Amino acid sequence: MSPLDSATGLIGGALALVRSKLVGLATAPKRFSVLVQRAVYDVRTGKRSSWDVTKSVIMTLFGLVMVLVLLFPLFWITTASLAEGSRLFNTSGIFPDPSTYNLGAYRWVIFESDFFFVDGDWGYPQLVLGGGGGLVSFRWAGTETGPGALFNSLYIVSVTLAAGFGMIVPAAYAFSRRQFVARKRILYGYVLFTQIGAGLSIATLVALYSLFSSYGLTNNLFVLGLFYAAGAIPFNTWLLKTYMDNIPVSYEEAAMVDGASFLDTIREVILPLTKPGLAVVLIFVWLAGWNEFIIAQTLLRPENYPLSVELYNIATEGRFSTPWTRFAAFANLFALPVAIVYFAAQRSVEDGLSFGGMEG
Amino acid sequence: MASSQSGTGVSGLARLQSALPFSSRDWGLLLVAPGVLLFSSFMLYPIFYLFYISLTDATFAGSVIGGGAELIGLANYVQLIGDSQFWTSMTTTWLFVAVSLVIKVFLAVGIALLLNHVRVAGKRYMRAAVIVPLGFPGIFTITVWRGMFSDARYGVFNTILGRYNEFMSSLSAPELLLFDVPIGFLSGRWEAFFAYVTTEVWLAYPFMVIIIVSALQDVPRSLHEAAMVDGAGALQRFRTVTLPAIKGPVLFASILTAATSFQQFLIPWVFNQGGPSRQNELIIVYGYREAITFNQFGLSAAILIVGIAFVGMFMYVAVRYGGLAEGVGDE
Repeated sequence: MSPLDSATGLIGGALALVRSKLVGLATAPKRFSVLVQRAVYDVRTGKRSSWDVTKSVIMTLFGLVMVLVLLFPLFWITTASLAEGSRLFNTSGIFPDPSTYNLGAYRWVIFESDFFFVDGDWGYPQLVLGGGGGLVSFRWAGTETGPGALFNSLYIVSVTLAAGFGMIVPAAYAFSRRQFVARKRILYGYVLFTQIGAGLSIATLVALYSLFSSYGLTNNLFVLGLFYAAGAIPFNTWLLKTYMDNIPVSYEEAAMVDGASFLDTIREVILPLTKPGLAVVLIFVWLAGWNEFIIAQTLLRPENYPLSVELYNIATEGRFSTPWTRFAAFANLFALPVAIVYFAAQRSVEDGLSFGGMEG
Repeated sequence: MASSQSGTGVSGLARLQSALPFSSRDWGLLLVAPGVLLFSSFMLYPIFYLFYISLTDATFAGSVIGGGAELIGLANYVQLIGDSQFWTSMTTTWLFVAVSLVIKVFLAVGIALLLNHVRVAGKRYMRAAVIVPLGFPGIFTITVWRGMFSDARYGVFNTILGRYNEFMSSLSAPELLLFDVPIGFLSGRWEAFFAYVTTEVWLAYPFMVIIIVSALQDVPRSLHEAAMVDGAGALQRFRTVTLPAIKGPVLFASILTAATSFQQFLIPWVFNQGGPSRQNELIIVYGYREAITFNQFGLSAAILIVGIAFVGMFMYVAVRYGGLAEGVGDE
């Protein structure tokens, strides 16, 4: 299994998961109607009293109301993103008038904001013969301004992912399967740092800024990506290590008896069986690079701002004048792709968050 | 864990060992070293450097880098002890942690019980829905909450309270039950504190719900049924069956979310930068503010070191009493 195979395997697995979720969602009404029919039948035949059924209905309604109350902020902001041009806080109520719904805010994000390209000035890619030292070089033509915040974000995240995976996976394997000096001590150190990512990096910001400036590393997207990877290492290494602990050693032994080499056991046993764990780590490491903005804002200059900083800037343009519709549209485009993957892999994420083995 | 199974797998591991490109027992360290190195240089080193800055009279970043700052020992810490702003910040931070933790625990246990109840249909979908807040970036959800807590007369909560007033007036309820709208959620001290706590609870309850639900699902149904047969009421069953099952996980989750609440920066910063008039500056905001706004790098570093020390204490408690590091040992 080459790295490419495992990558496509991972993506294929994720897609299959999304598909099964969608199928589950699509058949939910059907299953619900069966449930109702069953209840009606039970009452008619006297298997359940009508009071018994009523109690279930009340509890279910109670649950539904609770879910709606908890998700109210997200519902509110989504309707807000559809109401470009109308005043959000007005006398007519909390939600904008549905008759004024439009996609103007999304149009603004795509064609005027810095989301994809600076000032929303799309252009087109062009291959140039000769120039740039190579035989063929690539450049973006038809635009004066250049790629926007999305590309900065993607660049940071790819550095974070590459560095993070390169260090987390081997380390998790070593912690799970090997004995070596200081193993316990390092692991304890990591555990101590599992929950203190974001706050800690803001706390050390003063020192970070001084250090980065003196080494000339400010305004460097590559170094910033490495920094996020560093922050993601303790939690994710620990997570993947607990995951690997649950794979019986006897599987590797059996493979070795069959003549597999050490690297074969990694490729054929460990990696395939760790896939769900790897998917969770992928999500967490991605989020580490994708969401952070305080450090990014301090260390980078405006032309290098990633999406998270742009979003923050829209949010804080003025204390009373946050352009809500534009903010909401920008935020939805920023957060939705990640949120979708997150919920597709929800079960694995939950297992990851409860740290495996915590129950009991 | 290799060692725990070594009793059965000695020959296999020995083979594994002999198949390696090099024979040293400690080669696993090589796999771990890059991560440790990266983590140390970007996380541990800055903490030590921060401690060094806290011992100097640095005023701005340039004076740290250019060597213009001089070591002044513990003077910054001494100054902190006499600084009323520091004590305001400390009190507010602890109050924030305590109040939000209590609400979080009750809310999360309630949600988890409801979403695990036999009578609720569609539990799985509801469970998926209630943890939605975890999937969105903090800057997004926190800004949305700021919008809902808007001081404006027609802000979301002020509109809701207005409606509530109209409704209560129509029932000719006493004045006492009415709200004085519009409420300046972000411009009053305790109003802002209330807004912080609400948002913090909303951000953190999903994590607790996940952990409690997974604990509840491990309680065999037969245990509940046995208790019912013995004539135990709902309350009694909660006390004797449910509570023992979720006590450990709730404690564990409490320590961890308390540690994250303690470091909360975004909520106060985005809402009103720890205002009004610096009364709600949680500890990290306080430290950040001293550096960014007032150019007091040395003092700021001292504040943040104190903050980090408290967080370290939380984590120590989590490891010591919460069973956080259960998988580390080699027993």
